[in-house]
Amino acid sequence: MSAAAAPLIQARSLSRHFRIGGGLLRRSAVLRAVDDVDLDVERGQVLALVGESGSGKTTLGRCLLGMLQPSAGSVLFDGRDIAETDRDRRAAFRRRVQPIFQNPYSSLDPRWPVERTVREPLDAFRVGDPPARKRRVAELLDSVGLSQRHAQSRPHELSGGQRQRVAIAAALALNPDLIIADEPVSALDVLVQAQILNLICELQRDLGLTLVFITHDMAVVEHIADRVAVMYLGRIVESGPADEVLTRPKHPYTRTVLAAIPQPDPGRRRDVAVVRGEIPSPLAPPPGCHFHPRCPLAVDRCRTEAPAMTAFTPDHLASCHVTAQEHRQKGA
Amino acid sequence: MSGPLLTLDGVSVDFGPVSAVNDVSLEVSEGEIFGLVGESGCGKTTLAMAVMGLLPATAAVRGAIRFEGEDVLTRSEADRRKLRGDRISMVFQDPRAALDPAYPVGEQVAETIRAHRPVTRRAAREQAIRLLGEVGIPAATERYRDPPHRLSGGMQQRVVIATALANEPALLIADEPTTALDVTIQAQILGLIRELRDRHRTTVVLIAHDLGVVAELCDRAGVLYAGQLMEVAPVERIFAAPQHPYTKALLAALPTRAAARGALPVAAGGVPDLADPPPGCRFAPRCPVRMEACETVPPPVLSEPGHATACWYAAQGAPG
Amino acid sequence: MSAVSTAVRSVTVRGNRRTRAGAAILAALVLIALLAPVLAPHDPNAIDPSRILAGPDLSHPFGSDALGRDVFSRVLFAYRVSLAVAIGSVLLALAVGVPLGLIAGYFGGPVDSLLMRPVDLLLALPALLLALSLISVIGPGTWVALFAIAVIYLPIMARVVRSSVLRVVNEEYVAGAGARGVSRMGVMVRHVLPNSLGPSLVQASVLMGFAIQIEAALSFLGLGAQPPTPSLGLMLADGYQVLQQAPWADIFPGLAIAIAVLAFMLIGDGMRAHFDPHGVSR
Repeated sequence: MSAAAAPLIQARSLSRHFRIGGGLLRRSAVLRAVDDVDLDVERGQVLALVGESGSGKTTLGRCLLGMLQPSAGSVLFDGRDIAETDRDRRAAFRRRVQPIFQNPYSSLDPRWPVERTVREPLDAFRVGDPPARKRRVAELLDSVGLSQRHAQSRPHELSGGQRQRVAIAAALALNPDLIIADEPVSALDVLVQAQILNLICELQRDLGLTLVFITHDMAVVEHIADRVAVMYLGRIVESGPADEVLTRPKHPYTRTVLAAIPQPDPGRRRDVAVVRGEIPSPLAPPPGCHFHPRCPLAVDRCRTEAPAMTAFTPDHLASCHVTAQEHRQKGA
Repeated sequence: MSGPLLTLDGVSVDFGPVSAVNDVSLEVSEGEIFGLVGESGCGKTTLAMAVMGLLPATAAVRGAIRFEGEDVLTRSEADRRKLRGDRISMVFQDPRAALDPAYPVGEQVAETIRAHRPVTRRAAREQAIRLLGEVGIPAATERYRDPPHRLSGGMQQRVVIATALANEPALLIADEPTTALDVTIQAQILGLIRELRDRHRTTVVLIAHDLGVVAELCDRAGVLYAGQLMEVAPVERIFAAPQHPYTKALLAALPTRAAARGALPVAAGGVPDLADPPPGCRFAPRCPVRMEACETVPPPVLSEPGHATACWYAAQGAPG
Repeated sequence: MSAVSTAVRSVTVRGNRRTRAGAAILAALVLIALLAPVLAPHDPNAIDPSRILAGPDLSHPFGSDALGRDVFSRVLFAYRVSLAVAIGSVLLALAVGVPLGLIAGYFGGPVDSLLMRPVDLLLALPALLLALSLISVIGPGTWVALFAIAVIYLPIMARVVRSSVLRVVNEEYVAGAGARGVSRMGVMVRHVLPNSLGPSLVQASVLMGFAIQIEAALSFLGLGAQPPTPSLGLMLADGYQVLQQAPWADIFPGLAIAIAVLAFMLIGDGMRAHFDPHGVSR
């Protein structure tokens, strides 16, 4: 077994565009939700995908799940392009990659009892016979800390935290290798969030899951991520080991985001000037480096030339002309 | 003026069988930014609505809410309407809900001015443009005419803040004003609120569930749980030396790099059913240091200078 | 439990009471209609010259009409026609309209246009004119009236279902089911359909109330149920002639219509209260 096993899932030059508006006489605008993204996730790793509105992180998540077809580039799972037309291969992929969505209030069918929602993946893939499926559901409810008496409850009878547990149970039903979770704890209160984070971390450890965790909450990223990828207006601007990116960020946007987060520590109140300007619309991203209008380090080159990814250490990459230049000058 | 700007005295709010707020007493001094912190269902928004006089008719309110010396609860609806937008203003979480999508944003600011001041349309318009500039909207004269949907979320929230501050209110209540915004925009809005407070001496009551926001912006804070006030103190003390087990639990449960994965300390269980709340301290069922007294007798409020905690356990260790 | 959701629950309970009241009335009326042969004291078509325009008395609680027929018995039998047409027409409209709206809304694009254009065309034609045209082609009668009303209602139901589907299709749980491997048909039938039916059921019950009135109107014009079949509309038409001398010949059929309409409206209203807060509390 080679030391460098292939990454479990990869995005290769992945782009996803949407055409907005347009009609018989008007040209439609192109929204580059995901723009030429390269991403690797190793087996057993927790990758946090971070960004604000318009960053494309949710669209990227859906492309990785196979819910959206790429406009360009590809998604490779276990070395294979998931866009393969072979139906069996696609079904196999679906079984091994499962989603958890953000909103516990809308991600469960409001008319279905918990038991049926958790059983649905098993039914869809005809796993085992009905009694076996029932047993599996009971097992799953147990593993996410839900009492069996909730099996017949409807979502509106459960709290936000409990609903999220149901979503997790459903995601685990088929024993997936990879879970892509889109803001799974953002809508939850502090104490409930801690409970669900604990649950997710425990399950990830015990089941050896690979986890892509989409979020905008840096505190959560700090806590659970092995690697971080930061997105801005459809592009990955920085990626690397979580420790590195969070303590020694190389991209001005990452630095801005980290500085902007309110810390629960009054002693650290900032007088430093906050980032200026609004997040541009993804329909009209600034030319060159998308971040240049708001960037404290911007130079002329940034306006015309999109920066390439520079490797600051072998696995810490960022796309910034200025910091890359600084890094080169320090002598590599 | 002498005395606090806003006093809540034994305020309780019931919606039928549901006890949303239970015997809350606190004071907000002029010019300070006071944070009301708690998880969902803790009663913070209900309290804000009570102060504004915006509770539905089905709500049963007890106690007194004194604003500038007078009890708001005993005033008529007509009197309260005069206060709103003039002496007390409110900013809500979702700016899209607060702005009428059919009208230019500048108009909505001007309308608030004209509602409370006998000024000409032109004077109101000029004042509105000034305000839009003050809250950081570039090219205010041009943007005056824009409908809300032309503005980003952050810009919309700035407009809402402009309408709230149009008549120089004594008190601004901001209910989760940045929760719906991106983190970089959130930082801008929080900075704006602080700036405006400094410049206009407006008192601000900030409702938040994000402890970071409270630490960032507030001078003092009150921690609510299930409708009860658990702890009130200057913000430094809340974070550096929390007295109440619930406050401690909140702080301990925040995810950090240092905390071991999967092992964030958190009490099991959830918030109680407010239609059938536990007697006494409502956090008792989940409290790691609960005592017999907690389950039967509503706890007293004890204080160190400026730091009040409603907890039997903490009372044991208090000085004096 | 937040205070808001509790307040909302109380509205739902009140709504449920309305639904139950309406359902109880409707059940009673259906029972009466089914048991008409047993309950009616007289043959509804029996002409009795001695009792022409006679007033209400113990053996004829609703009086008698211009041909001496017992109004009470006629009302009981007339309910059969009216309820059958009201319920039947709406069910037929649902049977065709729901799948149309579901498929159009779920697949969207060219499928949507293809299916909805003819529906929109139907909708654009004035209802009563449409009914009259159909009847003039096929000829008058109870079944024709049912069919005509169903045709009028079909586009309404299709549109209501379609707009419901459009909303539901964007919900996360629908996307989630797809991402978990459920087939498109499976998602459409098991998730989208049940969650989209709510508003269409409310609409259906309201339309049933209107259908009774449309049937009465058609019969009043002589285009619905044909004599000797008793129908509330026909009775209204006949009673209208003798309003001065024998008001009971018009009042009681009129009341009978009103009660049935009330029942349907109560059911619809209660269901609306049930489905709406459900959306809010989510």
